[in-house]
Amino acid sequence: MREMIVSELTQAAQELVRGFARFLPRLIVLVIIAFVGWVIAYLLKLVVRSILRLIKFDRLSENAGASQLLAKAALPSSSELVSRLVFWVAWLGFILLGVSALGILGLQEQIAHFFLFLPRLFVALFIMFFGLLAASFFSRAALLAAVNSNLPSPRLLSIAIRAIIIVFALSMVLEVLGIAEETMLVAFGIAFGAIMLGLAIAFGTGGKELAQRFLERRFAPRHEDKENEDELSPL
Amino acid sequence: MPAKQDVFWYKDAVIYQVHVRTFYDSNGDGIGDFQGLEQKLDYLQELGINAIWLMPFFPSPLRDDGYDIAEHRSVHASYGNLEDFKRFLKSAHERGLRVIIEMVLNHTSDQHAWFQQSRSSRDNPYRDWYVWNDTDTKYKGTRIIFLDTEMSNWAWDPISKSYYWHRFFSHQPDLNYDNPAVREEMWNVMKFWLEMGIDGFRLDAVPYLVEREGTNCENLPETHAIIKDLRRRLDEQFPGRMLLAEANQWPADLRPYFADGDEFNMAFHFPLMPRMFMGVKLEDRKPITEILQQTPEIPASCQWCLFLRNHDELTLEMVTDIERDYMYDVYAENKTMRLNLGIRRRLAPLLDNDRRRIELMNGMLMSLPGTPIIYYGDEIGMGDNINLGDRNGVRTPMQWSGGWNGGFSIADPESLYAPLILNPVYGYPAINVLSQRRTPHSLLSWMRRIIAVRRSARVFGNGSIEFLYPANHRILAYVRRFESDTILVVNNLSSAAQAVELDLRRFKGSILIEMFGKNIFPRVGELPYLLTLGPYQFFWFRLRKI
Amino acid sequence: MTEASTQERSPALRTEVKLSEETLLTDEFLRQLISVGEIDILVGLPTHNNAKTVGPVVSAIQNGILRWFPRERAAILNADAGSRDGTPEVVVSASIDDVQRRDFNRAALRTLHSISHQYGNSMAPGTALRTIMAAAELLRARACAVISPESTTLQPENLQALLRPVYRDDFDLVLPTYARHKFDGLLITNLLYPMTRAVYGLRIREPYASDFAFSDRLGSQFLAQTPWNDDGVRAGCEVRFAMAAIAGGFRISQAFLGTKPHVERHAPDLVPALRQTIGALFASMEPNFALWSAKTGSQPIPTNGAEQQFTLEPLRVNRKRLHEGFRTGVAELESVFQSILSPNTLVELQQVARLEEEDFHYPADLWVKTVYEFAAAHHKAVISRDHIIQALASLFRGRAFTFLVENRNSSASEVENHVENLCLEFERLKPYLLEIWDGGK
Repeated sequence: MREMIVSELTQAAQELVRGFARFLPRLIVLVIIAFVGWVIAYLLKLVVRSILRLIKFDRLSENAGASQLLAKAALPSSSELVSRLVFWVAWLGFILLGVSALGILGLQEQIAHFFLFLPRLFVALFIMFFGLLAASFFSRAALLAAVNSNLPSPRLLSIAIRAIIIVFALSMVLEVLGIAEETMLVAFGIAFGAIMLGLAIAFGTGGKELAQRFLERRFAPRHEDKENEDELSPL
Repeated sequence: MPAKQDVFWYKDAVIYQVHVRTFYDSNGDGIGDFQGLEQKLDYLQELGINAIWLMPFFPSPLRDDGYDIAEHRSVHASYGNLEDFKRFLKSAHERGLRVIIEMVLNHTSDQHAWFQQSRSSRDNPYRDWYVWNDTDTKYKGTRIIFLDTEMSNWAWDPISKSYYWHRFFSHQPDLNYDNPAVREEMWNVMKFWLEMGIDGFRLDAVPYLVEREGTNCENLPETHAIIKDLRRRLDEQFPGRMLLAEANQWPADLRPYFADGDEFNMAFHFPLMPRMFMGVKLEDRKPITEILQQTPEIPASCQWCLFLRNHDELTLEMVTDIERDYMYDVYAENKTMRLNLGIRRRLAPLLDNDRRRIELMNGMLMSLPGTPIIYYGDEIGMGDNINLGDRNGVRTPMQWSGGWNGGFSIADPESLYAPLILNPVYGYPAINVLSQRRTPHSLLSWMRRIIAVRRSARVFGNGSIEFLYPANHRILAYVRRFESDTILVVNNLSSAAQAVELDLRRFKGSILIEMFGKNIFPRVGELPYLLTLGPYQFFWFRLRKI
Repeated sequence: MTEASTQERSPALRTEVKLSEETLLTDEFLRQLISVGEIDILVGLPTHNNAKTVGPVVSAIQNGILRWFPRERAAILNADAGSRDGTPEVVVSASIDDVQRRDFNRAALRTLHSISHQYGNSMAPGTALRTIMAAAELLRARACAVISPESTTLQPENLQALLRPVYRDDFDLVLPTYARHKFDGLLITNLLYPMTRAVYGLRIREPYASDFAFSDRLGSQFLAQTPWNDDGVRAGCEVRFAMAAIAGGFRISQAFLGTKPHVERHAPDLVPALRQTIGALFASMEPNFALWSAKTGSQPIPTNGAEQQFTLEPLRVNRKRLHEGFRTGVAELESVFQSILSPNTLVELQQVARLEEEDFHYPADLWVKTVYEFAAAHHKAVISRDHIIQALASLFRGRAFTFLVENRNSSASEVENHVENLCLEFERLKPYLLEIWDGGK
């Protein structure tokens, strides 16, 4: 009996060792890949950081208002953030590559999914970033134009435009990521339509006089001004 | 023998203006003479001209280059005698060359027998042949012509103790044309020469014949009546002879001298000449076209005489003050060159001895409407000597060769009537007939060619003129037409190459044939005709429809 | 008077204009230029429906040429933006040639070409200027003048005053000075002139000029080096031109042209005016840092005639609108100002905004600091540069209001003193500008 157990154990141990021996090279490969991946990811991070500095990415993100957001969250600057993200994603990618080399079946599929998802993630980030940028630019442009043309509630107008653009960008991001696509589309459609309708009604009824005056000023000569005062040319 | 019955010969003429004194000295006394001139007729025939205009050769004290005549029916001893003249005339006619001589109607020399008589006493029968007055206040306001030398139009005669009228130098008293005897005698003088066979008269200083109080004493109706009378007699007794008026007036004021074809046959177009020089310097055709636009139509039998230079200064009387100042500044910086509201320089020095400009100016001379006159020496590009007094700088001896006295005379150089031009640029070793005859591309050879082309087409002397006004104002372009001939002349007045588009749609379908080389140029189509011209270049095109 | 310092100038280069890429020169225009040929003087006239005023201007130009440059080859070029009221015909009728027979033909020595070219369908001062410069270069004009079609008070002598320094005395740019109403051109007197003077060290009264003259050297260089395809560049080309002359070390002088006629139609909007003037000025400070940072104080430039005169006709002005505009701007644009201005300046501005109309005062030193901070923000492009310029409009209104109030009853010399003091303030605070230019706020 004891000999059977010993021989079984020995056999099991031998199999384990054998299995381990078979497994070990793959593990070593994994470690090597992880190490190489770390080096490459680090280089990539440096490269990306230089590129971003070259295109003055920080300035752009300041324009977008992203820098302010990051500063509030006590995160490092945008270009630093992006390069670190690139580093981690790259390294993660290599590690996963190594893991897939281990030959563990179920894992390979999941890893493949992960790699497929990656581009979409980048696109979504890209859209978000430029959406923020556009929102910031156009809302400020509207603000300035409204102030300089003496329109009422310039800040309201500016915030409204910013909101519209961000909502638009957000819905695009969610669609790209594939999260509740149709729901988001419909929700966005409703929200956007509601805002527009609301503005139209407000403008049409309450802002009738304003609209009239606005149009007059744009397209008709300024008679009333000439009656009361002389024109000053700034130039 | 030229056909005497061709009464309009002067319209096809190319005239050569020469002073017998300057041309060729046959007897070694340092002064040109008629025998010498006769010897050089071959040269003139070869040049291609067909009429000679002789400056005054009458006996004279020569204080105004012969325009102060002391005797009307003779020849100055220095130039020969009447026999020499008659022989010369015959030789000229044999070669088909007509001869035009001067006649000064307005005044005589104070050495003339008539004036000697007239001034001797108030009762002399010749007294009334001149214009006398006790005071010098009559005809006040009349302009003085020789501004640089004369202070007044009246001169005091110490012999008869009264004033006599003179529009020119004080030694040239004016004849009194209110006196019928004067008019009759002057006709007889003209008749003397006409009977000898001369072909025409250049009548000097015609506007000034008659004076009237309260006028400017120029161009008066009485003057015109006298001319009409002379012309009538000329046509009756000597058909085919010609009268040429020397009247430095605006074209509109010149028009009356043609009247209805019953006064002068020809007159000089004085105002055009300075404008041609101006146009070339400004590189702008405006001065030229404007004066020709203002030139009135003249009777079909009459003709303008065109010239570039002559024995007098280049007159700037008939230009505005701005124009005169400009001309002085660009053509006569050296004040010695200026005389009497004019510039006393020859053609070549005025044009900086620029061969292209000389050709251009001659090209215009030969193609504008009128009879061209070539001043002796300009066909070889002679220079001038502004240090000689009065206008003598442009009246130096003709330069025939590079040898002794430029081939003009075998006398001592110091005894010549005027010194030769000696500088290395214009002097006779550089500029002379002999060397230019040997060179196929000399100015002389070129002049012969252009005269030949001019004479080959009657349209130049007889045709109408119509200006084209291309947008490029540096191009002077016009069309001459006569009978079935149409000729297009295009001149580039600029020192730089130019491109010009001409509107020739009226002549659509015509082929252009360049008249010197006879090569064909593209046919005229619907589009503007593009021509490119080099600096100062000109084209003459015959338009031909086949 | 001492001149501005000059640097070595290369001799006039007859470089060939690259025509292949230009649609600026149509075939028809080129044909007209060929006919005009080489000239000495070109007078450019940019127009757009100016038939009411252009007649006397053209007449003055023609008389100026006939009287003062009778022997020179001259031409008038009308760069037209598609006028429908017969403006080009008025200009073209000024030509003197042998085709039309007119009285003054005889008084004129030469042909005077007067040609017109339509460069577009709407008003574009940049393209008009470029057309005139290109023509001047092709025609090899030694001196070129640009005259506004609204300068109805222009005299023939004025043309000579503009052209003579360029044509005979070897200057490169002649800018105008005028007798203007003390409240006309506030943007110039309160901002463009003092700032140009402080930054570049030259007392140029009218850097934004509508009547000026320039040499072939300056014109060719500007024509070649300006990126004409950029809309912003074209908008501010007049000021850009003056800046280019300053930066290139060209010889600049001024000429007094008498009264500047009051603009009859609608005065230009403030924001486009700011773009054309301050926008161009700020933009010029970028590449020329080395030049202007070294200058201290300012030098007068040679001037023919008065430097500037102020006239005092009574004028009814709506000051209230300016006050309102300032207040609204400070209130609503706070978020924008936070990006541009230093916190101190913003606080001070907000204090000023709280003042009522009677007590309102936008002090000179605060205005200078405001402007300098704007310049620095523009340089660093903290937000879109065009937005920075737009944001300045409200603040300028406040400054304009203060100026109007201060000089309500002032004599001409008092106004001149106030302007001079403002200039000195700009000069005094220039070190502050240099400090904030590349450093923090």
